[in-house]
Amino acid sequence: MVSIAGISDSGALPALATSMRFAAQRNRLLAHNIANLTTPGFQPKDADPRAFQATLAGAVNERRARTGGLRGKLELPETSELRRDARGNLRLEPRTPSTNILGQDRNNSDLERSMQSLAENTAFFRVAVDLMRFEGDRLSRAIRETA
Amino acid sequence: MYGALDISTSGLIAQRTRMTVISANLANRNTILDTAGNVNPYKRRHAMFAPGDPTAKSGAARELGVHVHTSDINEDAVRLRHQPGSPYAFKDGPNEGYVPVPDIDPVVEQVNAMEASRAYEANIAAADATKTMLAQALRLLA
Repeated sequence: MVSIAGISDSGALPALATSMRFAAQRNRLLAHNIANLTTPGFQPKDADPRAFQATLAGAVNERRARTGGLRGKLELPETSELRRDARGNLRLEPRTPSTNILGQDRNNSDLERSMQSLAENTAFFRVAVDLMRFEGDRLSRAIRETA
Repeated sequence: MYGALDISTSGLIAQRTRMTVISANLANRNTILDTAGNVNPYKRRHAMFAPGDPTAKSGAARELGVHVHTSDINEDAVRLRHQPGSPYAFKDGPNEGYVPVPDIDPVVEQVNAMEASRAYEANIAAADATKTMLAQALRLLA
């Protein structure tokens, strides 16, 4: 039984909310990298989505072991890329460098890879939003007691 | 997420400024007089970018984005053209008969213009992606 106070921590909602925060923060990093496509000496840095997903999977497993099911607060551990600010919100420290060769202006931006990352990140955000809407519909159906 | 739109906009502004500088260089390719009418050929300008947006309001936002750091004037970008009949040619000295003209290569300027225009498009695409994400997040409320 989930009490109404913990409703935002029920089911997959906290994992989806964390994924949306990550994607929104990473979108800023990608926009920054694209804005500096032609800045001399600029070397783009990204946050690794695979490392984030592995950390998130660990946190979901930890929650399941702690509460015995899909409820309770999700505690995402801090890593070198995933930090928390004073208010507990997710903040990204980009550390994953571009592997492209260095251009003569000491900039190793890779337009194609940047655009690919941007598209993947938008899709990832969309998946989280769609699943969250699904969860929200499920909750509202339960509240209305209709199928 | 509104911050991401600011970042992309700073990229658009920087690339547009760069395009203005390139247009000025191309337009003044044959300008050998200054506004007072003295022989003083137009010097090629070059927009230098640096990361960060000093116009942003919050400290965290100032680190992201891009801005035109300086618009450098290349004082050496002058070459001499042999034109002895010209009233603007040197009358004496080792360069007698030569007119100082701007050293602007239209090919270099065109290539820079192409790069600026592609980078502008990339920023538009990034802003579009941010707008899509914003719209999706807002639809959660509906």
